[in-house]
Amino acid sequence: MQVEFSKIEGRSTPFWLAAAALAALGIAGIYATYLMSVHGLYLTGMTNRVPWGLQISMAIFYIGLSAGSLVVSGLYGIFGQVQYKPFARIAAYLAMLFLIAGLLSILTDQGRIDRVFVKPFTYLNITSMFSINPSLYSGHVLICIIYLWALFREKGTLTKIASFTVCLWAIGTHTGTGAIFAFVPRELYNSSLLPPSFVAAALSSGAALMILVKVAVFRGTGRPLDEKLVIWLGRPLLAVFLVCTLYLLLIENAHRFYLAESREAGMFFLFGGLHSLMFWFGLIIFGCVIPAILLFVRRTGTSVPWVVFSSALVVVGVLFERFLIVIPGLIHPPELFPGWEVSGTVLWEGVVDYSISFYEVLQALGVVGIIGFAFLMGLKFLPLAPTEAKVLAAR
Amino acid sequence: MDRREFLKKSGAAIAGTSGALGLPLLSACDPNTARSDSPLAGRKWGMVIDLNSCQSDCTACLDACREENNVAFHDDKRWDIHWIRKVNIRNKESEDDVEKSVILLCNHCENPPCAQVCPVQATYKRADGIVVVDQHRCIGCRYCMVACPYNARFFNYKENEEWPNTAYPKRSHGVAESCHFCAHLLDEGKGPACVEACEAGALYFGDLNDPESEVSELVANAPVRRIRDDWGTEPKVYYLGL
Repeated sequence: MQVEFSKIEGRSTPFWLAAAALAALGIAGIYATYLMSVHGLYLTGMTNRVPWGLQISMAIFYIGLSAGSLVVSGLYGIFGQVQYKPFARIAAYLAMLFLIAGLLSILTDQGRIDRVFVKPFTYLNITSMFSINPSLYSGHVLICIIYLWALFREKGTLTKIASFTVCLWAIGTHTGTGAIFAFVPRELYNSSLLPPSFVAAALSSGAALMILVKVAVFRGTGRPLDEKLVIWLGRPLLAVFLVCTLYLLLIENAHRFYLAESREAGMFFLFGGLHSLMFWFGLIIFGCVIPAILLFVRRTGTSVPWVVFSSALVVVGVLFERFLIVIPGLIHPPELFPGWEVSGTVLWEGVVDYSISFYEVLQALGVVGIIGFAFLMGLKFLPLAPTEAKVLAAR
Repeated sequence: MDRREFLKKSGAAIAGTSGALGLPLLSACDPNTARSDSPLAGRKWGMVIDLNSCQSDCTACLDACREENNVAFHDDKRWDIHWIRKVNIRNKESEDDVEKSVILLCNHCENPPCAQVCPVQATYKRADGIVVVDQHRCIGCRYCMVACPYNARFFNYKENEEWPNTAYPKRSHGVAESCHFCAHLLDEGKGPACVEACEAGALYFGDLNDPESEVSELVANAPVRRIRDDWGTEPKVYYLGL
């Protein structure tokens, strides 16, 4: 199948306004990070009881979003669905950007950014997920670059090999990210279902974001897009991913609830405060169930506006899911004395809260700004977007 | 040399070199491997806390620790650091409101999750079993705080203004820290500041490898308990009267 790719013009006022706004956000984020590295991380909402916050949640959200390329390159490279070839370039470029965004979020979250560029390499600790993951992420970025190069040069065999490698590697990337939390002895973290459920949610958010980006790029540039290609991604693909995510969440919570030793923590997660509202409404109802129904019902599942709407819900729902992986496990206290009630005299014992600070938000928006700007510039300077995308006549 | 032969030879060379370079690297990667040639090897420091002797209104050990180690206190619960702290526990089943005061500090686990997850081996277990943080190496990722099930690790969110003991360094903001059994005092042949400060005789400290030591005898003969033994972390802090 012959597909034409071209750079977008990128001369319109909205294009430059968007680019300028994103660049401004990026600069604001860099400034917030600078302030933190000079004055300390007390500028964030994190505390000695909640040592991870928004930046780590955003980091794993971005890493998950990079799975969009896994979906597209898998369909095209492994299952030979050539009608997805037009999207392969954007998918690979975006995956690279999201992985960089994840790395940036982790980087800017460190107490001593000045040491991050040397120490992890000179004192590697292979038993630490934080040692293993950056290699997985950077390796993933590298493979994306090779894959993109193969796509740009139309290298048939290399494209096949690279897309297959990207798929395998992506499973490692997402499993490793889930393992950061799953492999520590903390009640709401420690779960062998967390890595696979991370992969399922990553596939959901990745596929949903691909739908949004595709529609936005084609509508924004006025290029023709066959609606069937969007609908196929939504139904059955996204819908099936959503069902998998729901299933794994159900099992994980039921298991926690069933065992007496973890019931209290399970109750806290499901009915213990603001995070429980996020879980039921943000993640389960609006993030999974409603979009899954919308996609499965024929009338809404075959209409592009509804598929786009469902995808937007899924992306927001998975953002909640990422936040819920990180925060509840930290604000819930470890049970040091089972059967005994602990009250603190000096430190916050018991359940604590975490509120996001202004600088933290600025830092997170900064990463959005940087990768958003890079995406726009990519569209303008690289032949990423296909001039048109059609379903093959035979299919 | 034809192409096939060249590829074979260069492949073998790469494999050989990476093996030669990689193996020592990998073997150096286990933070739990104590070097057997260290003068510290052979000892295993441990503590026994007798809660029956501990006075609930006394803070001598907490104050001594803070002064000896320049532990930051900002008068803000969010960022204050407590290498050693007191909590009150109350039996949920019992009718009366009797509270017990418990001293908590780093357990210096035999299997420290903090050292296991540290991406730069800044947290490691010394040959004598003490879990320490190299503050010049720590990148401030706070994974150790997430991994420690005892909430015994702390992060310097803010610059510490106070420096009462200039003989011991204070820490910059952006690094993690926790109790180190006053390793600098042990190296001089003294005991940890908290133990020295306790007048009630509630804190016992010594070498668990020495069967004659007070701590060894208590661990062997008295009804001692460790916090959440079932986690498999193997703490080296024991409690009497818990």
